[in-house]
Amino acid sequence: MVTKEGSPRHLLEQRRSSRSSGRGYAAVLWTAAIFFVVILAAIIEGIVSQSTSAFGHFGFGFLWSTAFNTVTNQYGAGPFIIGTLVITAIAMIIAVPVGLATASFLTEMCPRRIATPLGVGIDLIAAVPSIVVGLWGLYVMQPVFLRDVEPFMQKIPVVKLLFKGVAEGPSLFLAGFVLSIMILPTMVALTRTALAGVGTLDREAAFALGATPWQVIRKIVVPGANSGILAAATLALGRAVGETIAVTLLIGNVTRITHPFSLLNPGATLGSIIVLNFGESGQLPLLKSTLFALAVVLLIITIIVNVGGRLIVRKNRQFRLP
Amino acid sequence: MTDTTSAVAARIQQEVLAQGPGSVDLLDAPAAVTLTDVAIDFGPVHAVRRVTFPLAANRVTALVGPSGCGKTTVLRAINRMHDRSGGKVSGSIRLGDQEIYGRDAQPELIRSRIGMVFQRPNPFPTMSIIDNVTSGLRFNGIRNKKVLAEAAESALSAAALWETVKDRLDQPAVRLSGGQQQRLCIARALAVEPEVLLMDEPCSALDPISTSAIEETIVELASEVTIALVTHNMFQATRCADLTAVFLLDDTDHIGELVEYGATQQIFSAPSDPRTEQYVTGQVS
Amino acid sequence: MSTDLLEAPAPSGKDPVAAERRQLIQAAARGTLKRRRTVALGIRILFGTCMILTLVPLVALVGYVSKRGVGALSVAFFTHTPTPEGIPGGGISNAIVGSLLINGLALVIAMPIGLLVALFLIERRGPVANVIRFGADVLTGIPSILIGLFAYAIIVAHTHFSAYSASVALAVLMLPIMIRGDEEAMRTIPNELWEAGLALGARQSRVVRSVVVRGAIPGLVTANLLALARAVGETAPLLFTAIGSQLFSLSFNQPMNAIPIVIYQDGTTAFKDLQSDAWGAAFVLMAGVLVLSIIGRTFAARLTRKSR
Repeated sequence: MVTKEGSPRHLLEQRRSSRSSGRGYAAVLWTAAIFFVVILAAIIEGIVSQSTSAFGHFGFGFLWSTAFNTVTNQYGAGPFIIGTLVITAIAMIIAVPVGLATASFLTEMCPRRIATPLGVGIDLIAAVPSIVVGLWGLYVMQPVFLRDVEPFMQKIPVVKLLFKGVAEGPSLFLAGFVLSIMILPTMVALTRTALAGVGTLDREAAFALGATPWQVIRKIVVPGANSGILAAATLALGRAVGETIAVTLLIGNVTRITHPFSLLNPGATLGSIIVLNFGESGQLPLLKSTLFALAVVLLIITIIVNVGGRLIVRKNRQFRLP
Repeated sequence: MTDTTSAVAARIQQEVLAQGPGSVDLLDAPAAVTLTDVAIDFGPVHAVRRVTFPLAANRVTALVGPSGCGKTTVLRAINRMHDRSGGKVSGSIRLGDQEIYGRDAQPELIRSRIGMVFQRPNPFPTMSIIDNVTSGLRFNGIRNKKVLAEAAESALSAAALWETVKDRLDQPAVRLSGGQQQRLCIARALAVEPEVLLMDEPCSALDPISTSAIEETIVELASEVTIALVTHNMFQATRCADLTAVFLLDDTDHIGELVEYGATQQIFSAPSDPRTEQYVTGQVS
Repeated sequence: MSTDLLEAPAPSGKDPVAAERRQLIQAAARGTLKRRRTVALGIRILFGTCMILTLVPLVALVGYVSKRGVGALSVAFFTHTPTPEGIPGGGISNAIVGSLLINGLALVIAMPIGLLVALFLIERRGPVANVIRFGADVLTGIPSILIGLFAYAIIVAHTHFSAYSASVALAVLMLPIMIRGDEEAMRTIPNELWEAGLALGARQSRVVRSVVVRGAIPGLVTANLLALARAVGETAPLLFTAIGSQLFSLSFNQPMNAIPIVIYQDGTTAFKDLQSDAWGAAFVLMAGVLVLSIIGRTFAARLTRKSR
């Protein structure tokens, strides 16, 4: 709603705001708005304040220290930052190309009356709660991975260098793979929006010159939707970083980095280690503060990724998030 | 009368004189494209039917009529653009002696022989001027840089844009003005040396000055390509087109039809069909 | 220009070059066509496979959870409280009630705030509104575990584990979705209604504002339903606030059980009967969330149809 200076509406609004009932109403709205900002600040303050004793104790070295010992009260974030990065990387390597391909198929290579219900189906299934996905991953995917997938990966040249050792159950690879399943619908939905933002007219012009559908995608649609696709990937990344509970069930939650490095090793992420240790931390204030320090790290990573993604969206005006 | 109108009129007059007594019969000219009994349906909806007329070679044929009567639908059928949107085309459309919708016809090849310019200028936004012009050639497999450069210059000259852009070919195409962008689109379509150029209300998004400049270009281009020009502006038809096909909606079932086809002069001054007369005198809009 | 009508007028002097180029182009086009079409077809198959790969795990998941979960359902499942492992006849009644209560309170907290902030965003333009909108967008992406820790830090740390702290956490989770959704819903109300309200004079304007809000109700319902669907399924915030309980409780000031907690705790035990409870709970939760999402989207679809 645009109010032009001097327009009848603007004058009315000015008159309105000087009347008492209008003023009361405006006050209520302002209160709500300020209250919301206070909540945002409180979230940051609440988490940071609980972490200060750990940061005070360990200093910046906390970020790469690999210690984790409840007896000696030595803690570090190193293994968990690495764990978060590794499974996020696995999830993105799988989900970004597959998501891009799926979205391209739905928007460019599929008649609309099939594409729309499929898109809706993908969105709906994305609403399945993460604990349910985690449970399914634990009971269904883990045995399959142990029995078939992980031995299979050990046979592929080059790739097998990442899959040394013997898998015993939960693993970085399993967690990363299930995570990719969870962020795929997000990636597909956002990429579809980005691709749809490319004007029909551009596509038609390309077809009218004699291009095949793939040529149109490659040369016209994808370059045109570049920043939208980047935004989609960034927001999917944000989701991957923040996903906790399913990962907790599948990653094993060991507090050390196992050598030699292998995707078949169990690991832990910032989120999963917090979930697992929170119950025990009642008697260990330093541990509890450490968990909050890990939360601060997670908060910073999340904010950077999300703000980055939203800024990319804002720069590309055509792209509207669902 | 503008220069263009008088040029067309003068040409027709010359031809009349050259023929001697007897009527000028543009209608005997050879046809680049022939439509015979074409009907187009979108699912259960009938858009257009009983369309039979030719696109005379190296002439401008205007398709006129009120909105919604099927002229754009017919135009887009000629280069098989309905393949993508689910329209079903029945009847016969021939390019030369080849059936466009024949069993062994390849849509991509058809579209490289029949080009299209759209209502709104639509240069590819991520490409430079030169890349836009050569895009059609590259889609069709031409990689030779010399050929691309020559074709681009030739096309841009034909579209009367070469002098304006020759020193900034690498700039993004979107920086051009509206009229210039449309010329770029024309050049882009011309670069693949099509036999036919379909133009769908190419001036409707442009200001009057750009419009008359493009109309001049259209008339000049006719000597090299056959042109079909959809326009809702009757005066544009009289200015640019040698021949005109009039499309109207059937009153009872609201399906578009070709009502009359003939030399532009004759259509607008002495139409044979009463419905045409109603349209050109403004009783139907 | 040629005056001979029976021949097509000869093209201008560039003709031989143009004709030769035309032949060259057509030859290239024909020559490369087969390859281009094969590539296009291959890509289509590849991308279609990717689409199937996207759908298959998700569909398999829904199928498996349904199959295993339905088998766990029984009257006792819905009406009894949990029994220790090994003892039959347990259920998750306290968790079902707990989820309803916790989410209900969260809705009561979040809905008015969400609506008011959305109204603020619509009425006021300018930097403050932009900051709030941006903040809401970023809050949508904050992991739920952090919001649970926040509720712990400001409530539980000073008191004790309780159901209302869980409701606060879930309310914060719902809030940004409601704010953006409510704003979108009310933006579809045409300007004329707002103008009419103001033209009636100040005191009436509040009455008309409620007319506008009433007009946006389908969109508001959608936004709130989708926010609820998201909150209902969250586990991590509950683990730091309500933490679950074996007892049947209606007290907001005490720990309370909830469906996601049951799934998490019972699903990771080694006891078959508890695992069965977990699957039943998983099915109930999944079905509930899907139903809420479907209803929410149906409202949204009806809204866009109406505004056309």
